[in-house]
Amino acid sequence: MINQEKIGMMNTDITQMFIYFSQLMDKPVLDKNGEKLGEIYDIVVKPSEVYPQSTLLVIRTGFPKHKYAVIHWPDIQEIDNKEFNLKIDKSKIIFAEKHNNKEELTLRRDILDQQVVDTYQHKVIRVNDIHLLWVDHALMVAHVDISTKGLIRRLGCEKIVNTLIKLVNKNASYLKKEYLISWKHIQPLSINPVSMTIKVDVPSKQFSAIPAADLGEIFLDLNIKHQIALFKSLDINTKARIFINIDFKTQRSLIEELENKEIAEILSSIPSDEAADFLEKLPSEKTTQLLSIMESKYSKKLSELLGYSSDSAGGLMTAEYMAFTKDTTVESALKQIKERTFKVEPAQFVYIIDEGHHLVGSTNFRRLILADPQAPIQKSAFPKAYFVHLDSSVKEVAYLMEKYKYYAIPVVDAGNVLQGIITVDDILSQVIAIAWRRLKKIKVLPKQ
Amino acid sequence: MSKRLKTFWGRFLIFLAVMGPGIITGSVDNDAGGITTYSVAGALYGYKLLWTLIPAFIILVVVQEMNARMGIVTGKGLADLIRENFGVKITFLIFIGLVIADIGNTATEFAGVAGSMMVFGISKYLSVPIAAIAVWILVVKGNYKTAERIFMLFSFCLLSYIISAISAKPDWNMVRAGFLEPQMHFNKDYLGIVLGIIGTTVAPWMQFYMQSSVIEKGLKIKQYKYSVWDVIIGCTATVVVAFFIIIACAATLHKNGIVINEAKDAALALKPFAGAFASQVFAFGLFVASIFSATILPLATAFYVCEAFGFEAGINKRLDEAPQFYTLFTSIMAIAIIIILIPNAPLIAITIWTQIINAMLLPVVLISMLIMVNNPGIMGEYTNKKFQNIVGWSTTVILITLTAMLVISPLISRFFK
Repeated sequence: MINQEKIGMMNTDITQMFIYFSQLMDKPVLDKNGEKLGEIYDIVVKPSEVYPQSTLLVIRTGFPKHKYAVIHWPDIQEIDNKEFNLKIDKSKIIFAEKHNNKEELTLRRDILDQQVVDTYQHKVIRVNDIHLLWVDHALMVAHVDISTKGLIRRLGCEKIVNTLIKLVNKNASYLKKEYLISWKHIQPLSINPVSMTIKVDVPSKQFSAIPAADLGEIFLDLNIKHQIALFKSLDINTKARIFINIDFKTQRSLIEELENKEIAEILSSIPSDEAADFLEKLPSEKTTQLLSIMESKYSKKLSELLGYSSDSAGGLMTAEYMAFTKDTTVESALKQIKERTFKVEPAQFVYIIDEGHHLVGSTNFRRLILADPQAPIQKSAFPKAYFVHLDSSVKEVAYLMEKYKYYAIPVVDAGNVLQGIITVDDILSQVIAIAWRRLKKIKVLPKQ
Repeated sequence: MSKRLKTFWGRFLIFLAVMGPGIITGSVDNDAGGITTYSVAGALYGYKLLWTLIPAFIILVVVQEMNARMGIVTGKGLADLIRENFGVKITFLIFIGLVIADIGNTATEFAGVAGSMMVFGISKYLSVPIAAIAVWILVVKGNYKTAERIFMLFSFCLLSYIISAISAKPDWNMVRAGFLEPQMHFNKDYLGIVLGIIGTTVAPWMQFYMQSSVIEKGLKIKQYKYSVWDVIIGCTATVVVAFFIIIACAATLHKNGIVINEAKDAALALKPFAGAFASQVFAFGLFVASIFSATILPLATAFYVCEAFGFEAGINKRLDEAPQFYTLFTSIMAIAIIIILIPNAPLIAITIWTQIINAMLLPVVLISMLIMVNNPGIMGEYTNKKFQNIVGWSTTVILITLTAMLVISPLISRFFK
């Protein structure tokens, strides 16, 4: 809980600079002659800065037919937690049935009581209150409050509860502490009704700092509308990281909302074995459609992968690997390795092939670095190349990898042509599943 | 295969994938409280009250269709929507009511378990704890898929009431007359039981449940019309079961002038008239219905409260990840069980007060729903059509009037006798 800043026990000057949005809500707004216009309903903020600043005030009047008016912030004379005084006269304010700020970010509609993502603790949270800071006559969103204390304040029984707790324990930590989360870690999820994306620019930087597995979990905690809007607002890298960390059901409901072009782009950005796994579960018509619009080289690779049974080497392998013809010099191989980008961190193996793409040997980064830069890559090869066939079983693959302590092993077809590689993480998940079933059978593990 | 047949099968398969929420909700609806109300109605008035099932059906379909639509369009649970649109105070009020009512409801369900097992000669001090442990294990250790399958199976068990009813050899002419020729008597008892039947079919927590299960299924707007069929079939199942319970009691108990207070009494009283088999089938139906609802109610309640107030929730979370959720779930169960196991517990008073809280809660939930379902900011182009609004609001007004009468009439009779 490093992030939840403790701002209790502050001197009075500073406490006066902060105010909760719930303490402003429904407070009266008076015009320059002190005549009451209505109550504070909402505040529109400009989200471009780290801490969004208030720009418009929405006031409401009338019951049961509400009317709304929008006031520009500079027209406000004075604010305190009892009332707002305006500089302008009643006659200048126009009330309407609705206030049209649909695309803007507002506190009451878009943040208060809504779900937001806490990008620091990697959780989806619900906002109980908003902590605002007075700066130069305007309000800035400083923190959100997600505590029970916030809920009690909203219910209007903060004083009663405080008194009760004081009776029981004068030094209760509840009384002193305020648990707030800084706005810079908060990603609101409200959806722009026009573009159907998230209103506030999603800072991909914050999301890219979240580990992929957590990102997937955050995503699964959202409802489908937010999932779609957030997904559409993200950059392709984050999209890909999320996509491979959510279950098939969510993947499928997501792609139903996307254009084929967008889906193809995602599939091209995730490891080919993951893409093939996903395509395999789709109806064959859709798979064909998607393959037809992808880059032809990649779609060919995928359709090959799709042809193999999922528990054979062919089904497990990925088509992302590095291979060089045997005459390539070590220097040029290293240069190409440095220049190439990978969707996932590849195992540190490099394969050596001939003109017909036949596997002739393998080497690794270490051997390449130590080798003479001008020598052909073949010179740095391991004495013997181990490989498996497309139809080799999971067990055979696991056995070989364990025996020779390889992090990856090449897969060849009947004619010894290199098809792909299997990395240790792909084989590990398979082996763990098999081991788990077996251990259960011989009752080594307690029954679940 | 001809083209038409092919599209029929295609549609049927989609329907099978979509169905579930409506049918399960419809079955949970026939819980111990419902079975008691229908039994009492059949025993007291014979076939005369069968017609009430028609308005009950219409109300049920209208309300649940709105929930299904809101769930599909927004992807949010009813608790979420209420919190996001009406703020903390209203949400808090609704949920205080919901929690208290559901503790009462859960107690009624365990009373149903106890009662039905007594028919088989098993003491409640044995049956209730065993049932409670079974429910707890199913919820905490099981997973949703298994649970849903078991529940679907349960739903079919409720059809056992048809067997009970047919064994009782009812007078089908009178059944037809009671169903199609409504009679209204303006005396307190008759009105009370009419309200009871409609009130027991539309319980507030069901709206929350229906909407969540639609979301759980991940239904899309494309599948909306199949979802409507799911709702209609679920509501039909509810009403069919109620129909046969009333018939079973009318053909035996009413004919012989036997007055009952509990569903268990009905099962016992069936024995001399319709045979031991019919009696046991009736008790079995009661048992299944009770345990079914006893599983869903505390779980669902804990879930909605956590959803609305932003606590972690869900049976796939660990105890330390979702402490509020498990505390709530376990306390609702525990309080309900303690109430049942106290010797001479005032069960009838608990049932009546639960009904009263339910009745006060229902209009609040319905009005919130109608306001939200008509808000284009929430529903986009899927707001209520004029027809849906007419039915929706008149249902609400009728229900408010009825429930107000239901709440006031026992009070009046208590104070002005």
